[in-house]
Amino acid sequence: MIFIAILLGCLIGALIGINMPIISYTYSGYLAIAIIAALDSVFGGISSTLNKNFDLKVFVSGFFGNAILSILLTYLGQKLNVDIYLAAIVVFVGRMFNNLAIIRRYYLNKWTIDRQKNIKNNKKVQQKDIK
Amino acid sequence: MVKRKIAITLGIMCFLLTIALCVQIKTMDSASSTVSRTLSDNGLRDEVLKMKAKYDDASKELEQKEKELEKIRQAATQNDTTSEAKEKELKQNNMILGNIDVTGDGVEIVLADATVKNNLNPSLQIIHYDDLQLVVNELKNAGAEAIEINGQRLVNTSAITCEGNIIKINGERIGSPFYIKAIGSQSLLYGALTRAGSIIDWIKNDGNTAEVKKVDNITISKYVGTISHDYIKESK
Repeated sequence: MIFIAILLGCLIGALIGINMPIISYTYSGYLAIAIIAALDSVFGGISSTLNKNFDLKVFVSGFFGNAILSILLTYLGQKLNVDIYLAAIVVFVGRMFNNLAIIRRYYLNKWTIDRQKNIKNNKKVQQKDIK
Repeated sequence: MVKRKIAITLGIMCFLLTIALCVQIKTMDSASSTVSRTLSDNGLRDEVLKMKAKYDDASKELEQKEKELEKIRQAATQNDTTSEAKEKELKQNNMILGNIDVTGDGVEIVLADATVKNNLNPSLQIIHYDDLQLVVNELKNAGAEAIEINGQRLVNTSAITCEGNIIKINGERIGSPFYIKAIGSQSLLYGALTRAGSIIDWIKNDGNTAEVKKVDNITISKYVGTISHDYIKESK
């Protein structure tokens, strides 16, 4: 259900995004950092859904808040001549890897448990057959 | 129910995210269309693009300020006949100088490089800066009051120059196809350009595209830039 919604959102977004006008090159740096922040939020959302501690308010505020904060920080960094956006990228990408690890472990666990069950069932069936 | 809500929110977020992603990718694609491999090239390109954005901002600001000035001028001359006359005079002078957009009947000329290259001399098959100069000369001789080439208004300081493989007018690069607009007596302009042995004929004979047509209500944009007057003084 959740993955269907994500896939549908991505598809419609891509269709509309392809037909959107391009933005000025000066602002593309800000958009890039906002995209990284939003991507992190989405992965965070997926992993928390799997852990069953998903909070809608936290998710939505994180999505927009992180994006806006990272844009502001990038702007500030440009004014101060410090590449603050690098810090934002490190944090967001690091968290993205964390979340991806959580998602991966969840499905790996599920898969191994399923397989063990299957093996047990098969053994039972075989034993019955032998008897 | 809760799960559905979560799914919808996640879907919407992904929707926004992919839109932003696509726009970003498209922007980067268009920015890196000019091939450059080294880091310094990229830095230079960034610089140029930034400068261009700055220039665009500045010209927008200038436009806005000019509109404001126009408003102030109108307000100042509203209840005064002498200044109204002065305002009219000012407008007329600006029109002749090329400082404001003008409209009127005239001709439109399209010049383009030859598409089929079959001549032994390939140099003949492209439009050169002197072709443009000859056309402009012909137009001026026939009494054109305002001329524009690819958006560049010709004013009294305009030069049409050759810069290797491009042509510069008013310091701005332009290239084929050339759209020349001229306001003036339609029959005179059209006749001068289409007579036998005219410059248009010559250009056509070389295999290039050259078309002239009468067009009503042509709009010619104003000259973007400043005309300096540091050295000239009124002589006594």
